[in-house]
Amino acid sequence: MTQREIMANEVLLDALSAEPAAGGTPRKGKDRNASARRKRVVVRVLQYILLTAIALFLVFPFALMVSQSVMSQEQSIRGDLIPTRIVWEGYRELFAHEDYLSSLWRTLYIVVFNVFAVPLSASLCAYSFARTRWKGKEFVFAAMLATLMIPGVVTQVPLYQLFAQMHWTNTILPLTIPNLFGGGAVNIFLFRQFMRSIPYELEEAAKIDGANAFKRYALITLPLCVPILLFVAVGAFGSSWGDYFQPMFYFTDPHKFTLAYTVYKIVVLDGVKFNSVAMAAGVFMAILPALVFFLLQRKLIDGIMVGAVKG
Amino acid sequence: MERKSAAAAGGQPAREKTRPSPATRRRRRIDWLTGVLFALPVIIGILLFNYYPTVRALINSFTASRGRAGIEFVKFKHYITALSFEFEGKLTLQIFGNTLVYALVSVPFGLIVGYFLALAANFKLKGISVYRMLFYLPVIIPGVASGILFVRMFADTTQHGIFNQLFTSLGLPEASFFRSEKTSLITLIFMGIWSAGGSMIIWLSAFKNIPANLYEAAKLDGANSLQCLAKITIPMSTPLIFYNLVTGIIGGLQCTTPLVVVGNGGGAWDRGAGVGNSLYFVAVKIMNEFNLTFYEYASALAFLLFFIVGIFTFILFKTSKWVFYGEEEGK
Repeated sequence: MTQREIMANEVLLDALSAEPAAGGTPRKGKDRNASARRKRVVVRVLQYILLTAIALFLVFPFALMVSQSVMSQEQSIRGDLIPTRIVWEGYRELFAHEDYLSSLWRTLYIVVFNVFAVPLSASLCAYSFARTRWKGKEFVFAAMLATLMIPGVVTQVPLYQLFAQMHWTNTILPLTIPNLFGGGAVNIFLFRQFMRSIPYELEEAAKIDGANAFKRYALITLPLCVPILLFVAVGAFGSSWGDYFQPMFYFTDPHKFTLAYTVYKIVVLDGVKFNSVAMAAGVFMAILPALVFFLLQRKLIDGIMVGAVKG
Repeated sequence: MERKSAAAAGGQPAREKTRPSPATRRRRRIDWLTGVLFALPVIIGILLFNYYPTVRALINSFTASRGRAGIEFVKFKHYITALSFEFEGKLTLQIFGNTLVYALVSVPFGLIVGYFLALAANFKLKGISVYRMLFYLPVIIPGVASGILFVRMFADTTQHGIFNQLFTSLGLPEASFFRSEKTSLITLIFMGIWSAGGSMIIWLSAFKNIPANLYEAAKLDGANSLQCLAKITIPMSTPLIFYNLVTGIIGGLQCTTPLVVVGNGGGAWDRGAGVGNSLYFVAVKIMNEFNLTFYEYASALAFLLFFIVGIFTFILFKTSKWVFYGEEEGK
């Protein structure tokens, strides 16, 4: 799923950066009289009403999650939408859980590692596919893309066996180290497309000045890849932050879980006393991705405006 | 589409060929080494973390571990256990049925809902990007968080589910949602509405990439907006739709959301199964078998899934005549 998410994100940035598109209902007519203008205003108001209604419907569950996370149990049971008084019990209980904070730090550690490892590794490999010539390159590239067809659950059990043999279970190594090896076929593909859109003349000049391939990669190509670096990093953040399925295979010791798995265990498996605890757990899981998305959005879009990702 | 053709062509355009002198041959060797060294992480990566586990899973699925006695070759035993009605066959059928229905319904459903969202998000209004972000917001919420949330919203009135409280206050009958065999799969698919923002974005980008002059020409010929949709927007977006059908169905066949939505069900061995196994998906079953340390049986199930993924990918590619890639061919 992560690869799909990454792909969707790419398209997202592309779309958000777009001018309102040509599809839908083009209305470019010059209104010469007042009645046409009035009609346009009415249409506009209706459009705003429709958009607001959809937005309310889509955001409502998450607004409710936030509001119930600070709601008293009685109110929550009554089905109230807005808390009459803010109760922090949910958050307090959540953070007081013996494994919660430690799993939060562990997850942040994994996230930070992957946010650097995935883009760097992917860009390094992509440089080979985009900028070097060697026999077998096409074959390796095809073999890499073919891995996209292998469902993740097929490799999950043998990967567990492999990591168990290396005594990597109950450590964060299975969730971090593999990312040093390419960082995912989709990411390499994105980087390669981006690199191919960078004019080769710059490198040619550096080559004549005697820069070796690694220097050309690190000093010329990589700095030009910042938008896609950022983009892949955000994808890596998203997938390692919310992953609860892989840890289910690699962790048996509840004190060593990642955050998403801990939340799963606390809320779903063990069950919580108060609704607010579950909601607080949900809110806290959602805050960081939402923050990253909103903060970086402009920057990501600016980068994609270069128009290179489409290849 | 450009992407695929670029992938097929691969690499840099070939440069002019030089006569192989010892110096050039040495330079070529260095070139080769440089390229391979850059690609070495991914070469090791796909061998170690993709191809080796796949082969090992295949071998697993034909063997059985006998503790200290080692590993025994059991031929198709696990597959027979999975498929024969004397053993697990009925359950396997149900699980694969659930998974297939989910993947094949939820992906097109998401694309359709996303299309309507995209139409709305494409209005030319001030502040439209804020609306687009709001539409997309549910997509970035991690699955654990939204799972926890929705299972509570879809609960019975006695469990204070907000939807049922709303229904009863409006005088409507209560809906069973995840509490009944009949409705749980539908409810899960319906939940997809909240993540339709993902396909909305795909549609928006498809709209954007369609040349405006096509619409202008169609308008001159007197086409209405519905005709524009059928003859321009949809045909021009088919590569994106196709890509998302393929990846969506492969992803949907591995869905694990019921783990969060249904929870512990009957116990650790049928976690996330749902009422009467109505939400039991293949990936979840594999995990449950894994927890029972039946690695070999889990691997056999995984390969059955792989087989089905392969069949669907094959069918999708074989029936992809409707995908419009270039100017020459019609649709």
